[in-house]
Amino acid sequence: MLELFRNASDPVAIRIVGVGGAGGNVVDRIQLDGLPGVETAVLNTDSQALGASVAQRKLQIGEGVTRGLGAGGDPELGYQAVEESVEEVRELLAGAGVVFLCTGLGGGTGSGAGPMVAHCAKEHGAFVVVFATLPFSFEGKRRQMQAQEALDAIRERADLVVCFENDRMGGDVGTAVQEAFAAVDRLISRSVRSVAALVRRPGLIRAGVQELRTVLRGRDARCLFGFGSATGPNRAHEALEMALKSPLMERGKVLSGTFDVLVNVSGGPDLALREVEVLMNELNRHIEDHTRVHFSLATDSALGADLEVVIIGAAGQEPVRHSSAAQTLPAVAAPAVPAREPAPHPPRNSEDALSEPMPPAQFAADEPVAPSDSAEEIRRRAREEREARLAAARNRTGGGSRKEAKQEQMQFEPLARGRFEKSEPTVVDGQDLDVPTFLRRKV
Amino acid sequence: MSTERIVVGLEIGTSKVCAVVASLRREGEIKILGVGQAPSRGVRKSEIVDFETASKCVREALVDAEEKSDVEIRGVFLAVSGGHIKSFNNRGIVTIPEDRGEIYEEDFEDVQAAAREVTIPPENSFLLSLVQHYYVDGQDGVLNPVGMMGRKLEADFHIIHGVSTRIKNSLRCLAELDIEVEDVVFSPVAAAQVVFDQAQKNLGGLMIDMGGGTTGYVLYADGAMKRSGCLSVGGDHITNDISLGLRIPMARAERLKVEEGSVAIHEVLPGEMILLKDETGFAGREIERAMLNNIVHCRVRETLELVRKDIGDDRLIDFLGAGVFLTGGGSLMHGMDGLVQEIFGHPVQLTHKPTVSGVTSAFDDPQLSTAIGLTKYAHATQEQKPEGWLKRLLPRIRLFGR
Ligand SMILES: Nc1nc2c(ncn2[C@@H]2O[C@H](COP(=O)(O)OP(=O)(O)OP(=O)(O)O)[C@@H](O)[C@H]2O)c(=O)[nH]1
Ligand SMILES: Nc1ncnc2c1ncn2[C@@H]1O[C@H](COP(=O)(O)OP(=O)(O)O)[C@@H](O)[C@H]1O
Ligand SMILES: [Mg+2]
Ligand SMILES: [Mg+2]
Repeated sequence: MLELFRNASDPVAIRIVGVGGAGGNVVDRIQLDGLPGVETAVLNTDSQALGASVAQRKLQIGEGVTRGLGAGGDPELGYQAVEESVEEVRELLAGAGVVFLCTGLGGGTGSGAGPMVAHCAKEHGAFVVVFATLPFSFEGKRRQMQAQEALDAIRERADLVVCFENDRMGGDVGTAVQEAFAAVDRLISRSVRSVAALVRRPGLIRAGVQELRTVLRGRDARCLFGFGSATGPNRAHEALEMALKSPLMERGKVLSGTFDVLVNVSGGPDLALREVEVLMNELNRHIEDHTRVHFSLATDSALGADLEVVIIGAAGQEPVRHSSAAQTLPAVAAPAVPAREPAPHPPRNSEDALSEPMPPAQFAADEPVAPSDSAEEIRRRAREEREARLAAARNRTGGGSRKEAKQEQMQFEPLARGRFEKSEPTVVDGQDLDVPTFLRRKV
Repeated sequence: MSTERIVVGLEIGTSKVCAVVASLRREGEIKILGVGQAPSRGVRKSEIVDFETASKCVREALVDAEEKSDVEIRGVFLAVSGGHIKSFNNRGIVTIPEDRGEIYEEDFEDVQAAAREVTIPPENSFLLSLVQHYYVDGQDGVLNPVGMMGRKLEADFHIIHGVSTRIKNSLRCLAELDIEVEDVVFSPVAAAQVVFDQAQKNLGGLMIDMGGGTTGYVLYADGAMKRSGCLSVGGDHITNDISLGLRIPMARAERLKVEEGSVAIHEVLPGEMILLKDETGFAGREIERAMLNNIVHCRVRETLELVRKDIGDDRLIDFLGAGVFLTGGGSLMHGMDGLVQEIFGHPVQLTHKPTVSGVTSAFDDPQLSTAIGLTKYAHATQEQKPEGWLKRLLPRIRLFGR
């Protein structure tokens, strides 16, 4: 891991690990879509499912307890399975700087083994991002409870949790279940790709991670994820439209309740600043004044004539004060023992409790938990992070151009003055009247 | 004064430069000989920001006016405006020497000088001191005190001043074109001369001139100018708001504003859409009319409320017998009268409606009222003082003095 942050211009080794049937399917999807420079692995109790997977590495767990037949929807069994094979799991995760763990929560293997896999990855010192799905409501309350419990356990261990609520993935009532799952897989594959790009971008790894954390913070926040890509003269506009139409964006409406969003725009070498401007101006319509846009721009010749937009955020979170200290320093060492009490188990038999609507999907970033990190280690990381930021800042201003990829940070100005940008401001009673009235009055 | 005199009123507006050539006859009759115009560039919020570009526009407008009127322009009455221009009311008092006891012409100058004995910022110059009322030995209602017997002459003045260097910017522009500036007039004051007749000034009236970059106003009560001012917000702000709010280029926002914009937010049907005509990129995009009107409404309401606040005195507004008069390009915005009536509580007259003064057709264009008003102003001041007190004012501005 430290290797990773010291030599920031090296691409980061990302290991994508799928746990359980759903996780395996997602990893297969990623493998089939092709994501260069990542290692894929699947891990399951179900030997048949493993046999069908196209992942680079496969690991069967808990042969003793499940006989290769799966955990049958019982997380207890899933947990026993991973305990049985914990050495192989550790071995599978060894040496990965960043682990992306994909799993479908609600069944036996993903829910029972997932938290332990996250734990092992963390033990190795990896940066752990979990992409998890919560079951459809038609799958029943039991699965939902199991999923929720597993999610809480995963949160204790992972650095970031990107959580998708199947119900919100936009499948029509008439959609066949297999089709609905396939759609979810595609979306997750897409989001894995974007987060990978953010994490891997040379020079600004930690900045990207830090921003992801800010953007995704909050236990009860709902996930926002939008992706769009387009070519042609109007590609900026079209790509954004597409991103805003992504099922998890609720047509951009959700953005209005968001305090931080991360927007990444990538394009080939001909990506023009004007296009970015168009895009950001348009995006501004969907967010409120208080929303901070963490904007990153990347040029990647592999994209050719494509322009890609990724929007990541969380709705329904608490505002956060953006002090510079909070921005540049990593979170204080989390105690080895989880500070948070496990959520009290709802009374399983009570009809009332069970009929309560599920909380919306969560796309949450918890404080990093680094069980093996000493205070010294954390301080050193903070220092390195600052240095990385400084270096990045120098690159931005000093024209030290990189060949392969370039990333810039921009603070988007939500209160635009437009035509009056350069003229003497009209200030009356402390208000800049050049800023549109409707923006100042928030109508 | 000869029977006919030709004057030129020039407004270097934010949207257009406009020169009106008029012949002045006795009996206050004005005949417009020609109107020259050019789109304005290099002007923001009624002030020149790009000298060279603005000069070209001024030249263009003057050449146009010369062609249309067949008059060679040597001098102009120039309108100036901008948020830096301020006004206040002050009383001047002079004691008449005991041995004299009669009020002479020269006492006027002294009383005006006395009224100007106030601190204005050192970088400012006086633009205008206008007598509101005279008092002789404390008695008001005196129209012309010359020749009256008295010990004490007092006069209330409306005094307008602005930052010298900014006023000089416009002057320099004309100096380079070798055009003499006969007088400098605060734009809303000029416009008010064509908007109001004497009866309306007596009844009390408020004129609001919403131009491209500024909104000027003048309030008359009891036949005297009581308030005047300028806010650096105008039609351009509406356009800018639309451009930012709907994500369309300024030029399209301007067209949309003029063609479809309205401050009436209650007339919109739910879900009513406007189809933006095709140009590059945004082919056939639809926008909600409610959104457009809302953007416009917010800006115009705020601007009018700021004007009301700037006037300050609610009683002045309550007693406007002649109501509110709207002029300038911004007055063409659909639904303006309703909103103005709501905010000021008076019936509204739009100067482009032929009800105001059926003088000539050129009067019907509210965008010309400042330039035409200048010629009327010229007429009035020439009548009063054939030599023109502007001759004294101008060197002062040039020398930074007061
Ligand atoms: N995205 C996606 N989600 C799936 C798929 N199949 C199932 N799920 C979801 O994932 C949850 C867990 O299902 P599985 O992954 O099959 O369960 P498991 O983790 O293998 O556990 P066991 O079935 O006990 O072996 C389900 O409740 C579904 O909501 C799939 O193919 N794609
Ligand atoms: N029909 C209309 N509806 C709304 N606004 C208009 C209309 N016609 C002109 N305008 C606006 O009036 C302003 C120009 O007014 P004008 O009095 O000529 O300004 P200036 O004196 O500053 O050059 C511009 O902002 C223009 O958009
Ligand atoms: Mg399974
Ligand atoms: Mg004007």
